[in-house]
Amino acid sequence: MKPPPFDYFAADSIEAAVQALADAGGDGKIIAGGQSLMPMLNFRLLRPSVLIDINRIPDLAYVRDDGECIRIGPLTRHRTLETSSLVAEQLPVLHEAMGYVAHLAIRNRGTIGGSLSHADPAAELPMMSLLLDARLEIQSLSGRRTIDARDFFLGALTTDLDEGEMLVEVRLTKLRKGTGWAFEEVARRSGDFALASVGITLSHDDGKISNVRIGLMGVGETPMRATDAESLLAGQPFSETVVTAAVDSIRRTVEPNTDLHASSDYRRHLVGVLAEQALSKAWQRATQAAHD
Amino acid sequence: MTDASLKAVDERQDGVAEELATRPKIIGARVKRTEDPRLLTGKGAYVDDRKVAGMLHVAFRRSDHSHALIKSIDVSAARQAAGVVAVLTAEDMSEINAVFATSRMRDYHTTPITALASKKVRYVGEPIVGVVAKSRYLAEDALELIEVEFEPLPVVIDPETACLPSAAVLHDDAGTNVLCFREFKTGDADAAIASAPIRVSGRFRFYRKTPVAMENRTYLAEYEVGRDELTLYTSSQVPGIIRDALSDALDMPGSQLRVIAPDVGGGFGGKASLYPEEIFVAVAARRLGCAVKWTSDRMEDLAATSQGFDQIVNAELALDANGNAVALKADVIGDVGAYSIYPWTAVIEPVQVVSFLPGPYKIANYLGRVRGVATSKPPTGPYRGVGRPTSTFVTERLMDMAAQRLGMDPVALRLRNMIQPDEFPHRIGSGIIWDQCAFTECLNAACDKVDYPTLRARQAQARAAGRWFGIGVACYAELTGIGSRISVAPGMPINTGTETAKITIDSTGAVTAAFGVTAMGQGLETTLAQVVAEHLGGRVKDIRVIQGDSAAVPNATGSYASRSAVLAGGAATLAAKEVKDKIIRAASHLLETGPEDLVVEDGKVSVVGTDRALTFRQLARAVYLEMRRIPADKREELASTKTYDPVFGTSATAAHLAVVEINPDTLEIKLERFVVAEDCGRLINPMIVDGQVHGGVAQGIGAALYEEVVYNDEGQNVTASLVDYIIPTATEIPPIEVVHIEAASLTTLGGFRGMGEGGTIGAPAAVANAVADAVAPLGIDILELPVSPERLFRLIENSKQHKDATHGHET
Repeated sequence: MKPPPFDYFAADSIEAAVQALADAGGDGKIIAGGQSLMPMLNFRLLRPSVLIDINRIPDLAYVRDDGECIRIGPLTRHRTLETSSLVAEQLPVLHEAMGYVAHLAIRNRGTIGGSLSHADPAAELPMMSLLLDARLEIQSLSGRRTIDARDFFLGALTTDLDEGEMLVEVRLTKLRKGTGWAFEEVARRSGDFALASVGITLSHDDGKISNVRIGLMGVGETPMRATDAESLLAGQPFSETVVTAAVDSIRRTVEPNTDLHASSDYRRHLVGVLAEQALSKAWQRATQAAHD
Repeated sequence: MTDASLKAVDERQDGVAEELATRPKIIGARVKRTEDPRLLTGKGAYVDDRKVAGMLHVAFRRSDHSHALIKSIDVSAARQAAGVVAVLTAEDMSEINAVFATSRMRDYHTTPITALASKKVRYVGEPIVGVVAKSRYLAEDALELIEVEFEPLPVVIDPETACLPSAAVLHDDAGTNVLCFREFKTGDADAAIASAPIRVSGRFRFYRKTPVAMENRTYLAEYEVGRDELTLYTSSQVPGIIRDALSDALDMPGSQLRVIAPDVGGGFGGKASLYPEEIFVAVAARRLGCAVKWTSDRMEDLAATSQGFDQIVNAELALDANGNAVALKADVIGDVGAYSIYPWTAVIEPVQVVSFLPGPYKIANYLGRVRGVATSKPPTGPYRGVGRPTSTFVTERLMDMAAQRLGMDPVALRLRNMIQPDEFPHRIGSGIIWDQCAFTECLNAACDKVDYPTLRARQAQARAAGRWFGIGVACYAELTGIGSRISVAPGMPINTGTETAKITIDSTGAVTAAFGVTAMGQGLETTLAQVVAEHLGGRVKDIRVIQGDSAAVPNATGSYASRSAVLAGGAATLAAKEVKDKIIRAASHLLETGPEDLVVEDGKVSVVGTDRALTFRQLARAVYLEMRRIPADKREELASTKTYDPVFGTSATAAHLAVVEINPDTLEIKLERFVVAEDCGRLINPMIVDGQVHGGVAQGIGAALYEEVVYNDEGQNVTASLVDYIIPTATEIPPIEVVHIEAASLTTLGGFRGMGEGGTIGAPAAVANAVADAVAPLGIDILELPVSPERLFRLIENSKQHKDATHGHET
């Protein structure tokens, strides 16, 4: 479990990093927290010719309030997001989810840019980026582009990032005042990858469900939005019937994998259970907010 | 003397008497572990910490086939690679003798153990080529240049299929995959079962497990060319066994071969056997004339350290209408993997299962059959508990199933069937004799601790509210501190029945106590120092304990089978007493006092009732350096070497009680409470006993709920990282409450019983029973461990389908 030989380049700017990526001709790999990359190197599953270290690039780790959205630098550690008061106030669902990201030691090193670029289908941040309508800022030698999170995740460990591109900022849409939210997850042990997980935001609009977003993870090749269930719920009064319909819809639409820890059937069962719990919690919060 | 001074003397003497009467003995004291400041601050010295000038590093090309012929090996490119010093194959090591785990047992087939596979590979991960290079990085780079051509043979994965005549045979010399067969019989189990009104049975499965010590196996061989002396530093539980085995393999006398286990980071049985990599580094160091190190990485550890359990048990228990057990019958298949491990043989795990199945119960008729079956997986070896986690799981599940059938409380059923305090010694159906076990005492103590009737009432309320709440108990005994008459694994050519202690006071007055046993984290450095201090009259902090050094004592094996407190503790007692006698004889000369007036305490010898005393330092100077003070013919070396043999040994007992709650929606299983009432005889250090129980229970919870090594149909290990082989962490383990019964053993010196393994023996069964109890209203039995939420989900789904089908049929 030692990595194959590679060159090492410590970039001092984003420009230098993307230049190094371009120079590597598709064979370079950016290293930030290294929490997924280092094991893959040690298993010799990856053989990059050069590791481009972005840890020394100044001002790449930040959480900023930008009015409509929260801007997060790619080198921001999970632990920073977990403990950020801005996140806790503006994106409480993300705050809750961060506590489920692996273990403390990993959260101290792992970064949001790394997690999104790695795109594990059972990781919290990719799902949160879908749920919170993230806009991802990407840079390469040919300039910058912005992409919606929903277009970014193409498959397990596969994103829209081109070989020469680097994720340079994540913008998450703030939750509107009065938004109800919930995050539910089941893993084998505390800190493990989710067997299934559900994140929800919704509003209470005169007794009816509105602005409902449901994010799912661990039950497909990518994190996903449960759009059918969202449509079933939108504009409806909250009731057991409508929740059951939404849960049934989720269970029908997901196609979870079977692996060592959980079968497809158990995951399907589980995602329904969690969706039901999350809907109920989110609705309670939204109702509470509407009455305050 | 004035009245006042007389009064002062009286008061002082009263004070001494009072202090003597009230001061806790050193044995039994809650002494903080003396090794912990070193181990917990990163200052331990493990094998991998040892760095020697010019040291070379090894990486192994391992088999990626489960079962295949090796057609050719091309190492020419690897030999040319940067930093590579040597590339060795089995062909290059032909002068090294293969090691065989032999046994006098009938119907047993041994298998050769070599450093590298030749001609054939028998599991994925088996070493084929060793690359020795200037760094591990370069060695691993060179591995990629090695070409091995395989001719695949049929994989042998399912142990039941492996028994069939049609199965591919792993070892042609054995001619069968059934490496051992045994049968234990008392009475007529078949007849008793046939006529019994109550019968419960099941096909029980305990899946394969791996020890996962925090420190991976690491070996460093240092070689002194001029003297042809080899020193192997090994993360082993059994340096004595390794020394003797390497002496045979390398054809070297023990005087030139020293095996040292320094600080060792966990063993759990996984470091209690001889390994191919251990032979390899020894051979390579001698061949190359320099130090050679191999440190296992976690992937290698999961692929090639001896694994455990993996048994299928078809068992049936019969009872009369009053709930008295009358017969037990079991057929056990143990999947022992590819080789019969040295020195324990393939027999060790599976035979222990049938040996211990009757457990703490009076069952007149017993028939136990066992086969140890070779498969193309890594060898199984001793794993903390050895066979008894499975036997306890099976018997204790059967007891609960019987209680349910009878409508009896499971605790009441157990108490009715247990060997009662006045019925010892008792011979169980497999032939094991329980000397004096606290079966009923432990079970009652565990139940008292939780207020069992109230707990059952709480369960009834929880059930009424739709909650899945379960209570499980498990009771067992294990043979511990086994002496020379009862070998740990019968018929083996090694002696597991004695241990030796060598205690020396040197010319500086320092006390060194050397042992052949080894500490893997269990605190022996402290407990053995306590025993020595007690019997020598020394202070715990002054006693330097040396362990795990084959040069320290003439013969030793190591630490395994819950033996070290009993055997090393016994040897320490004998040697310390002799040294103390020598101290008193010397002090008698020096202080001109009769021996009866001398006391040895706190590292000094004093004349009772006076302030005349000699510290060990003063005494040692007088004995060794100040030549006129003791007549030459009365001078004695302040040292003693003693070997202790408990001859038969003893037993340790416990009752475990688990309380679980299962989330009916997500099927997550949460342990609410865990209680252990245990009897390990006289406690040397209650804190260390608690720690051992906690660790063992955590490991047992892992076995019950989380841990499973999975091989797919191609023989590939699909749990080859700690992401997939999951062990419980602190968040998964509830607080563990321990009640000590402390019934001193009458058959061992000091009354110690040994207790290193117990936690792992009781916990899986207790958790299984608690989970089964929680889901009993659904009509589900728990017959397989680990019981994951996934397994539970499938059991529930199957039961629903079964019910639907039955329902459909009726209507």
